[in-house]
Amino acid sequence: MIVSIDWIKDFVNIPDMPSEELGTKFTLVTCEVEEVLLTGELLNNVSVAQITEVKDHPDSDHLHLVKFETGKGIREVVCGAPNVKPGLKVPYAPIGTSFPGGFTLVPKKIRGVMSEGMLCSETELSIGSDDSGLAELPENAIVGQTMLEYLGRKRDVLLDIDNKSLTHRPDLWGHFGMAREFAAVFGEELKYPYNEAWEKSLSEKFSTDKAPVTIEVAADSSCLGFSGISIDNVTVQDSPDWMKERLEACGLRAINNIVDISNYVMLELGHPLHIFDRDTIKGGKIVVRRAGENETFVTLDEVERKLVSTDTLVCDAERASSIAGIMGGLDSGVKESTSRIFIETANWKDSEIRTTSSRLGLRTDASQRYEKCLDSNQNKQTLLRALDLVLQLCPAAKVVGNIETDGYKEEKAPLVLQMTEEHICRVLGKDLEAGKITSILESLEFIVSEDKGLLSITVPSYRATKDIECDADIIEEIGRIIGYDNIVPASPLNAISAVRLSNAKKLTRNIQDFLVLRARAHEVLTYPMVGEKLLKKASWPQLNEELQLANPTSPESDRMRPSLIPSILQSAALNQKTQSAFRMFEVGRSYLPDAKKFSNERSQVALAWFSKKESPFMDLLNNLEDLFAYLNLKVKLSRPDYRSVNPYVEPEWKGLHPNEILNFQVMGKVAGFITSVHPVVSRDFKIKGNLAIALLDVTDFETRQIKDKTRYEPLSRFPSSTFDCTVVTESKEPVASIISVLNKLKIKELEQVSIVDVFQMDNDQKAVTVRTTFCDREKTLSGDFISNFEKSVMDTLEKNGYPLKK
Amino acid sequence: MLQKLEDLIIEFRSSIESVEKKASLFDLKAEYLGKKGKLNVILKSLKDAAPEDRKELGIRSNNYKIEIQDAIDNKLSQLEISEINEKLEKNWQDISHRDSVRDFGMNSAGYHPVTIVQREIEDIFLSMGFDILDGPHIEDEFHNFEALNIPATHPARDMQDTFWFKDMEHLLRTHTSPIQVRGMEANKPPFKFVGPGKVFRCEALDASHEAVFHQIEGMMVGENISVSNLIFFMKTLLSEIFKKDVNVRLRPGFFPFVEPGFELDIECLICGGKGCSVCKQTGWVELLPCGMTHPNVLKAGGIDTDKYNGFAFGLGLDRLVMMRYGIDDIRHLHSGNLAFTSQFKSY
Repeated sequence: MIVSIDWIKDFVNIPDMPSEELGTKFTLVTCEVEEVLLTGELLNNVSVAQITEVKDHPDSDHLHLVKFETGKGIREVVCGAPNVKPGLKVPYAPIGTSFPGGFTLVPKKIRGVMSEGMLCSETELSIGSDDSGLAELPENAIVGQTMLEYLGRKRDVLLDIDNKSLTHRPDLWGHFGMAREFAAVFGEELKYPYNEAWEKSLSEKFSTDKAPVTIEVAADSSCLGFSGISIDNVTVQDSPDWMKERLEACGLRAINNIVDISNYVMLELGHPLHIFDRDTIKGGKIVVRRAGENETFVTLDEVERKLVSTDTLVCDAERASSIAGIMGGLDSGVKESTSRIFIETANWKDSEIRTTSSRLGLRTDASQRYEKCLDSNQNKQTLLRALDLVLQLCPAAKVVGNIETDGYKEEKAPLVLQMTEEHICRVLGKDLEAGKITSILESLEFIVSEDKGLLSITVPSYRATKDIECDADIIEEIGRIIGYDNIVPASPLNAISAVRLSNAKKLTRNIQDFLVLRARAHEVLTYPMVGEKLLKKASWPQLNEELQLANPTSPESDRMRPSLIPSILQSAALNQKTQSAFRMFEVGRSYLPDAKKFSNERSQVALAWFSKKESPFMDLLNNLEDLFAYLNLKVKLSRPDYRSVNPYVEPEWKGLHPNEILNFQVMGKVAGFITSVHPVVSRDFKIKGNLAIALLDVTDFETRQIKDKTRYEPLSRFPSSTFDCTVVTESKEPVASIISVLNKLKIKELEQVSIVDVFQMDNDQKAVTVRTTFCDREKTLSGDFISNFEKSVMDTLEKNGYPLKK
Repeated sequence: MLQKLEDLIIEFRSSIESVEKKASLFDLKAEYLGKKGKLNVILKSLKDAAPEDRKELGIRSNNYKIEIQDAIDNKLSQLEISEINEKLEKNWQDISHRDSVRDFGMNSAGYHPVTIVQREIEDIFLSMGFDILDGPHIEDEFHNFEALNIPATHPARDMQDTFWFKDMEHLLRTHTSPIQVRGMEANKPPFKFVGPGKVFRCEALDASHEAVFHQIEGMMVGENISVSNLIFFMKTLLSEIFKKDVNVRLRPGFFPFVEPGFELDIECLICGGKGCSVCKQTGWVELLPCGMTHPNVLKAGGIDTDKYNGFAFGLGLDRLVMMRYGIDDIRHLHSGNLAFTSQFKSY
C-alpha cells in the first residue's frame, strides 16, 4: 500500500525530518516501509523558460543552438527538437537535474558547443504523452516558475508499505488510520475533521422524502451491516486535480469524479464503498442474500464466476449487482450519463470474504481490506465522507431521504482488558515511569482507567475486531512505541539442566560421520517428493498414490517418496555421467501411507557405491558391516528367502541382484538390505557401470539408547597355537560354510577360525587356506593336544566334503 | 717412538677416508686394532721406550685406540646406511601421486553443506542448554496452523503457500513451528529447545526460492521471560553464529504465533552498517522472525499462561548456508549432484 505524506498531513503535523528517516522510524514502530519515494522532485527542478534565439549548429544539419531566458539569466543549449522557435515557452532542466531512470544532467559539449542543460518534452517530464518535440507551454506561463508551481502540483513523500506487515492492522489500510499512528509515533496532535459537528452539518442535507432505495439484508448472509444513501442531480465529470493527483500517487487511475470519490474515501478511511448508478437498481431495493448453488455472476472484469451457496450477493429486486465485498458487476457502476446515485457502505464477515475471494482467485482492494476484519462502526463515517465529497464536487447534488440501513448486529460491548503496569514492564523487561503506559495507550486512542495499579484498558472498536485481543497485544503497543532499541538486553535467569543430543540425533550424526570419514562417501540431499515417472523408471512397485499432493508444483514431485532408493538411483544416474567412481549417501525420510495415522515417516539412509571398472558390492558390504560395528549395533545378515519379509523392498523388485543381495536384521527385525543393482534397472537409468546400493531404516531403533556391550577379558598368560590347512572346494562354495563347519567343533580351546587365502585353481575349483587358533587359558597346550586338535580339524573338513589340498 | 705413533695415526686417518666397503673396513680394523695390529705392536714396544716418554706414549696410544675404534664404528654405520639407502632408492615411489591429485571419486568425501551449518548451529544451541527436537514432515492442520494461533480463516494463511494432500486434511509442514507444539506437548516448563528440519512451500522455483528448504525453530519457556531476555539471547546466538559481535534491532513484525512479534535485523556484516548493496543502503539485513510466544499458542501446548511465558524464533538455514559459502542457486542443495556436493569435501 502506498501512503502519501501530503495526505497524512491533512490529519496530523509531521515533524520536519529527512524522508528516509521518516520511513525508518515508521518501520521500527509500526510496519515495514519498503521504499520511500519522493515525487515532484523533477518538476521542482525544471522551470519555465522562453526561447530568445535559435541558430543552426555549425556542425550538424538537425541540431540547433538555442538561447533562452530562464528568469535567472540567459542560457544556451544544443537542441534537436523540430519545434524550437523564438518566443516559445518550454520547460528547462538545468545542469544537475536527475531524471527518473537515473541519469543526471552534467555540463557537456555537443559537437563542440557547450550545452547548459536540456529543454524537455512532455514524456521526459511524465506530464503528457507527446514526445515529438519540446513541450509547448502557453503564453501565460510565467518564466522562471518551476514546473511544479506552473502545474499547481505539490512535492510529496510516498511510503511504499509491505502489505504483509499490515495483515493484523485493518485500521491502517487508509490514510486517516495511518495518520493516527503517526500522531502516536511522533507525539503530535491528531486532527478530527470528521467529527460530530461535521456529521451534523451533513445530516442537515438529508430530506424527509421517502428513500428511493431500501435495504433488505438476509440474516444468514455474511453481512455485518449495510448502509446506503441516495443522491440526485449529480454531474459526472473529471475529478479536480488534487484528487487525481492523490489517487495516482497511491497507484489508482482517475476515472470520473464519482468513481474517484469511492476510491478516494477508501484510501482515506480504509473502508471500501460502492457507488451505484441508481437507475440500474431495479425495484427500488437492495437485497443482500446468499448465492444459490450453481448461480453465476459476471464480474466487472467480464469473467463469469460460478458461485456457491456460501457466497453472498448484493442484488436488486431482480438480479445480482455484485459479489459482496469483492467485486461489482458490469452495469451497476456510474456512467457519464448518470445523475442519480446510491452510495453503499457495508461490512462483511472477514472469513467469508476470504473464502469466496480465494476460491474465485479474485483479490481486490475491497476484499483485501474486508478480510482483515473491518469495524462496522466505520460504515457511517465512510458513507458521510463520500456524501461530503459528492456535495463538494457536485454542488447541485441533492440528498433524497435519509441513510437507509439493515443487517447490523447488536453492538458489542467495547473490549476492556485488565492488567497491571508491573506485568507490562516485566514482560518487556523495562521499567517505565508511572503514567507512561497510560499516555502511550491514550495517544493510540485507548481509554485507560487505573485502580490500585490495575489498568482497565478500553480498546477502540476499530482495533478490537481481531488485532487486539489480550494483554500481549497491549504489551506490543507499549513496546513498539517506546522503541525496542530502548530495552536493555539481559540474560534470562534459568535453572541449570543437562542437555545432550537425542539418541536419534546422535545416531544420525554417527552414521554421517562414519560414512564420510571412514567409508569415504559424499552426503547428498534429494527431493522428498517424487513423481510417478521416476518410480516407474525405477520399477518401484509402490506408487504411493495415497500420499499424492493436491497442489504439486510439477508432476515430477507430486507425491511423497515411498523409499529413498528411486531418488538415490536418479542421483547416481546423474553423477555417473561425469564420475568414474563415487560413493554417496543420503540421510532422509521416506513416507508410507498408514491407514490409521495417514502417514508413516521412516528415517532412512540410502547408500550408492559406483564404479565404472569393478563391482563395488563387497566394498559397500564391508563398509556396512563396519558401520554397524561402529554404531554398536548387532546385525544379522541373511539371504532373503520366502520366510523373511523385508518391508523396505518387495522381493520382486527388478533392481535386486540374484546373488549379490543380503538383508540386515537389527534387534530381531529386518532393517534394510544391500544389493548390486540389477543391470536391467541400471539400463533403465542409462547407468553404465557397476552400482551397489543399500537401504538402512533406523526408525525402529533410532530413539533407543544403544549400549556399548564390550567387555574386557583378561589376557591369556599362555601362548596360543595356530594351524593352517588348505582345502579344495567348488568355486561357488561360500567360505563362510567352511568356517561354520569348524565352528561346530566342540573344542573349548578353539578360539578362532579365519580364512587366510583363497586361490582359484581352475574354473571349477578353488583352494582355501583356513587358519584355526587354539589356546588354553589355564595351561600351555601340550604337543600331543595340539596334534590331536589339528587332526580333528582336518578330519572334520574332510568329512564335510572339503578334502585337503594335496 | 712418539714419531712412529704420530705417523701411524696420520696413516690411519687417510686410509679410512678411502674405505668404501664393509670388508675393507674390517680389514682396516684388523690392521690397526687386531692382536697383531699396528697399534698393538707399538704398545708392546712401550717397555722399550725411554722412561720419560713412556707416560706420554701410553696416554697418546690409548687416545688413538679410542679414536680408531670410533672412526671405524662411525664408518661402519655410514656404510650400512648407504647400503640400506641404496636399496630404498630401488623401491622409490612417487610421493606426489597422492589421493588429492587423483581422479575424483573414491578419493574424497564430505558432508552436505546443510549438514555442516546445521550441526554447527545445533551445537551452539546445545552449548546454551537447548534440546534438539524434530517432528513429522506430514502434519495436520492442528499442529501446523491451529495450535499456532492460525485458525482456518486467518489471513496469515495467505503467507503460507501450503502443499496439501488430496484428503485436504493433511499437509506438508510449512514451517518448523509445529515442532514447538510437539515440544510443548512433550515437555514440562521450564524448557528450551530447537527444532531444525525440512519445510515445504508450494512456490515457483528460482535461484532463491525452493519448495523444500530448511529452518531451525527455537523456543524458551519459563517464568518471567521478557523481551529484554529475547534480545540478549538473540545477540548471543548471532554473535556465535557469525563469530563476531553483531548489532541487532527489533522492529514490529506480524506472525500469529508470537505477540509481540518482531522482525530481527542485524547490522549489515558487509558494510558494518554504513549502507551497501547487500543491505539495500539501509545498514540492516532482515534475518529472522521472533517474538514472545502468543498466549494462545502456549495454551494450545498445554502450558499454564498465568505462570509461564516464553519466546520463540525461526531461522532459515539455507540462507545461512548460501551466505557462508557464496552459493548462488538454492536449487543445488537438493540436486543430488556430486559436482556441487563435492565442493564441500571434508578431505
